[in-house]
Amino acid sequence: MQNNFISYIEGAFAGVSDTDTLYRYKRGVLEKMTARANEIAAAGLQNEAVLNDLIISEFPNLQEDYANYDRLERKRRRRKQMNTFLIFGSAALILTLVLAFLGIGFLTGAWSPAWLLVPVGILVWTAFLLGVFVCRITEKRRLFHPIARVLLALAVMCVTVSVFLILLVAAAWQQAWVIFPAGVIGMYIADGIYAFVTHQKLRIINYLLYIPAAAPMVYVILGGLSVIPWHPGWLIVPLSVLLDLILVLCKIAENSKYKYRPEVDAAWNEN
Amino acid sequence: MERKLNAELWDKMHYLFRDYNDRMVHLRLDYDFLLDVEALKTVLICFFEKAPVLHSAFKDNHINPCWLVKPYHIDEVLTVAYPEDVDAAADAFLTQGIPPESEIQMKVAVFFKDGKSTLCMIENHMCMDGGDFKYFMKAFCKNYNDFCEKGISPIDLREGSRSYDRIYSDFSQTEQRMAKNLYKNVCSKDDHKFPLTPDSIRDRSFIARRKLSAETLQRVKTAGKALGATVNDMLLTAYFYSLYSLARYPETDSVTIACAIDLRRHLKDTENEGLTNHTAWMQCNVPRRGKTILETLQYVVHSVNQFKQDKFMGLYGLPLLKFAYSAMPYAVSEEIIKIGYSNPLLAMSNIGILDAVGLALQGHEPTDGFMTGAVKYKPFVLLSATTLHGEMTLSMCVRGNEEDQKTVEAFFDLMEENLRALCQAGQ
Repeated sequence: MQNNFISYIEGAFAGVSDTDTLYRYKRGVLEKMTARANEIAAAGLQNEAVLNDLIISEFPNLQEDYANYDRLERKRRRRKQMNTFLIFGSAALILTLVLAFLGIGFLTGAWSPAWLLVPVGILVWTAFLLGVFVCRITEKRRLFHPIARVLLALAVMCVTVSVFLILLVAAAWQQAWVIFPAGVIGMYIADGIYAFVTHQKLRIINYLLYIPAAAPMVYVILGGLSVIPWHPGWLIVPLSVLLDLILVLCKIAENSKYKYRPEVDAAWNEN
Repeated sequence: MERKLNAELWDKMHYLFRDYNDRMVHLRLDYDFLLDVEALKTVLICFFEKAPVLHSAFKDNHINPCWLVKPYHIDEVLTVAYPEDVDAAADAFLTQGIPPESEIQMKVAVFFKDGKSTLCMIENHMCMDGGDFKYFMKAFCKNYNDFCEKGISPIDLREGSRSYDRIYSDFSQTEQRMAKNLYKNVCSKDDHKFPLTPDSIRDRSFIARRKLSAETLQRVKTAGKALGATVNDMLLTAYFYSLYSLARYPETDSVTIACAIDLRRHLKDTENEGLTNHTAWMQCNVPRRGKTILETLQYVVHSVNQFKQDKFMGLYGLPLLKFAYSAMPYAVSEEIIKIGYSNPLLAMSNIGILDAVGLALQGHEPTDGFMTGAVKYKPFVLLSATTLHGEMTLSMCVRGNEEDQKTVEAFFDLMEENLRALCQAGQ
């Protein structure tokens, strides 16, 4: 029985030179085939030829399957390399940042802006790490996507805090506080884009919530920076509700194109 | 590691129907020769492996139920016996139930007597409906023949997705969006019941059958043609008319009978689809009995034609069910669906023709046979109809007592009488 499987596997890869990955794939397939054969034989199938054909029919396209296996193997290796880079990179980065801070401090005596290097560097790196996790979680089932969305919001906040620190400490900009409401808007935008890119169902609800939630932030930022007067700048908030309404109407108009109104509706109602 | 299969929308729905019926689909085929048991075993094992849901146990998980593929032995699936009374043995076999938690979801029996064989099968409706069971049987017979006669391994069974949404696959993108927007509760609200006795602990399952001869069926067809009706319309009309007299509904009452429709009508090719359920109900309604049976027929034809004109026939309510199952944990969604869903009290399923040539084994066509739906719990009833060799078998599976059996027999008498009346009217 096993010889038949080996011949089948070898036949499928005739002319293809053996690599380490191919060997491991072939070995894996052979083990699976043997296990399945034992399982089916235990169910009472005695005819060896039928068993052979049945098992082979469960592995119909080995070359295509191998291409998939090879792709996943490469991905697994890349992920392993990436994990190594992230672990050692994190340690190396922290060490470098601390050394850079101490070096600049001792050499120039400018301890005050130099300390920024450590928190900003760590925050940006954390945002990068969160970004990597967001990508990985997005590859998983939709069930896990809410976790990715929370991590994305955290990444935006990390970047926001680092920008705030730079503007406040290095640029000494007194109105740097506007970065925080801007960060909240950034979170909404990032989540909206994520929902769009990953084709989340009912994402329109997110947009309808985010627009009026972001409007007061925009009002505070523009008012705080004196770009618009506080009065009648507050109109931004009711305008956002109007924007929501327009969005809802657009969606209804779009959906109505796909509304099916059969004559049979009347029959359902009669019932 | 234990293999898991997704519990599809219809699997969950049929599981929900456990309050209304025993979820079994039944088949009996009689042959005038001795079947090869070893060949049967071989074909069955191959088919069970090709459709692993047949040897899986349904796991009722509160969040997300699934099928767990289980090991089995063919002796648990196939029973071989030599009874004195084949009919009694076949009926006893067919009226048993398979719990969804069981490790196998299909049971087969072969009864031998006087050089003849009776093949009986029951399967869990959660795995597949009558449409796919018919395909399964045809494939079973073809593979059995190829194996016995040519030694070809019996592995030619359709495999693929069991998902309900495969039904949209042949629609254009616009049509798909339209069909997926059909959020509508299409349950029948009719309270008219079949006149059965109240539930009792002593009730037992039985399959009542009545055969319409080939001549009768031919007359029904001819009369239907003359009256602009299909055989299905004629059957439904007789069903309505018989019920009005049997159950003594007031003549002015509007009555609805749910008629099973195969949603595969929306698919051009089912070659890559897995064995599953693709069945919905069409609510056929008559506003009143009608002074004559011909008037009732007009109401039926009018009602059925309205549905037939609908491009998305049978697809109403599917998006609503999908939404209910995906928006909430399973336990919650089941309770909510139970509130909104009302199981039809009166139903009919015309399973159609059992192709005698396709069901022939080793050159022997089945001499007799039928396929029927689940055993309904009172007050629900389902009239099934299958045709073999031009003869139609009407069947009704009920969990009831002898009085109920007599009522069903009386109903069949009325059906025959009303079909005769329709034939006369169509001459």
